[in-house]
Amino acid sequence: MEAVHGHTNDHSHDDHAHKPSGIMRWVQSTNHKDIGTMYLWFSFTMFLVGGVMALIIRSELFQPGLQIVKPEFFNSMTTYHGLIMVFGAIMPAFVGFANWLIPMQIGAPDMAFPRMNNLSFWLLPPAALLLIAAQFMPGGGAGVGWTLYAPLSTQAGPAMDLTIFAVHILGMSSIMGSINIITTILNMRAPGMTMMKMPMFCWTWLITAYLLVAVMPVLAGAVTMTLTDRHFGTHFFNAAGGGDPVLYQHIFWFFGHPEVYIIAIPAFGVISQVIPAFSRKPLFGYASMVYATASIAILSFMVWAHHMYTAGMPVEAQLYFMYATVLIAVPTGVKVFNWVATMWKGSLTFETPMLFALGFLFLFTLGGFTGLVLSIVPVDVQLHDTYYVVAHFHYVMVAGALFSAFAGIYFWLPKWTGRMYNETLGKWHFWLSLVFFNVTFFVQHFLGLAGMPRRIPDYALQFAEFNAISSIGAFGFGLSQLLFLYIVIKTITSGEKAADRQWEGADSLEWTHLPSPAPWHSFETPPVVK
Amino acid sequence: MVELMLEQEVAGFTYFRRHASSLDLRLLLLVFGSLALVSLIIAAGFAAVGAWLIIPFAGVEIAALGAAACMIVRRAGDFERLAFSGDRILVEVRERGVARRFEFHRGWAQLVTGAKGSVALRSHGREVEIGRFCGEDGRRALVRELRGRLGSKRI
Repeated sequence: MEAVHGHTNDHSHDDHAHKPSGIMRWVQSTNHKDIGTMYLWFSFTMFLVGGVMALIIRSELFQPGLQIVKPEFFNSMTTYHGLIMVFGAIMPAFVGFANWLIPMQIGAPDMAFPRMNNLSFWLLPPAALLLIAAQFMPGGGAGVGWTLYAPLSTQAGPAMDLTIFAVHILGMSSIMGSINIITTILNMRAPGMTMMKMPMFCWTWLITAYLLVAVMPVLAGAVTMTLTDRHFGTHFFNAAGGGDPVLYQHIFWFFGHPEVYIIAIPAFGVISQVIPAFSRKPLFGYASMVYATASIAILSFMVWAHHMYTAGMPVEAQLYFMYATVLIAVPTGVKVFNWVATMWKGSLTFETPMLFALGFLFLFTLGGFTGLVLSIVPVDVQLHDTYYVVAHFHYVMVAGALFSAFAGIYFWLPKWTGRMYNETLGKWHFWLSLVFFNVTFFVQHFLGLAGMPRRIPDYALQFAEFNAISSIGAFGFGLSQLLFLYIVIKTITSGEKAADRQWEGADSLEWTHLPSPAPWHSFETPPVVK
Repeated sequence: MVELMLEQEVAGFTYFRRHASSLDLRLLLLVFGSLALVSLIIAAGFAAVGAWLIIPFAGVEIAALGAAACMIVRRAGDFERLAFSGDRILVEVRERGVARRFEFHRGWAQLVTGAKGSVALRSHGREVEIGRFCGEDGRRALVRELRGRLGSKRI
């Protein structure tokens, strides 16, 4: 140790002067903002990888017949497109938001367990590499679908083992992230920041983290049983050995349906921040939003078998799952009506974050309606495994989660970077995404209603026109996202200086108490929330 | 994970820091218990229909949650207090349940920094690290504050 000499700089200057630099800043970082940034860039990278896979799928489906890829490779693409988009792109994107925002919104200096935070991020790249490396294994990637259903998965090639390992690693990362988020939100709130004063984004992540903790062991168990069936002579899912392949479906969807809400609920949180800010009004029915979110989370555990009406179950069970599924429309409706009521008589402006939030509201509601259609047993029996289902979940996942993520990025980009994005380009990004998204996926409803099955590389001639339209839309949507990348890079490198409170309607702590960009260390002295 | 209370008193200067703790023990137990119970019920339900391999994963997860809860409890009572009173500097530290108390003379105490930004008070062969519960910025602020007070009174 050495004696202290010399002048100590003021706080704001310190903040930047002592920020580590170089690659080790990112490798060793325990700073929630750095880790949040890494999550967001990782998720965008995986979004591009999963997007390329989607474009390979849509290229093959542009015309009937087999033109570009072999059926096995096509199946592999559908599998890894789903896995990468769900586990590599959307989930990490919202964990990135959580890392950036939760400490700042509750007045904490960092996450509760910063080193664990670092580890939970750095588990992701190896898992992603495993998923990509699986394509190069003997026999190619596992063409079993993102659900990894047995018995296909128990008979697939060695790529399946890499996939199982990747899912395990991703699950570990999620568990660590969840523990961190729960402990941060519950234990590190600033004085006066009571639970019912927290921004909705924090509430939605607290509930999501609960869901993750509850269902991740189920997924880990499911893929481990698949692994032991493959290599260690067990027969969990092997009917010849006394097992039951349908059991896998029950286990997977017990995880899989809450997983839908693990993706959707943080998206609700982002929208609940953006809409009030651009309506210049507080969120309508805050308490009811909290209770509705919790209700959705609880109900998500009770509806898993609506994914498997055709797998065989008693009529009584079908009725139960149908009614339980329909019930989810009630708390979801509460949320949608609250967002609309927030806008009612508000001083609305339509900057890019608000446009994406409105796009989310309209399209997610549409996806919710088609979900209600699919919850009805006799309808689902007809539409199961058709393109109607593909259209439905893309309206929920893309127009729901992805549009919400875009809304959030445009909303908080000025706070994160200290620079303002180009509003004109942002609006172009929104309108191109909106139009091409609908060109891609709306027609898939018609394909499904006409009976086109999903996960096939070839199809009957009657489906040709809508498939061609869908493929054109997919390429347009994909190219539109390159514009987004350009906007973000341009903002970081040469955007105009953003105000500390760029959106005057935003009232959470990161806007009211911190400068733009948010300092590397924030809230070392917690604010007192009145 | 810190909370800072910096008081300017009539008699001197008091610096107090402790780990943030907006979760009381009862609520912590409720949170941990509810999460563990839900995980165990789900795992037991699947085990009852033959899928017993979910149980070990639920167990590992509950253990990790328990470890996090224990760390929160252990940190909850930790604090660091530094008080100037006349020519005396009193430092009280409680870490992982162990409390220690140091007393220095204002005229002789020296502020020293370590290679990784740690800060300590040293005098007559005794040394106590301070500012452990705060980040780099907080330590720099503390150093600024103390340097003036020690320097101006140095004999």
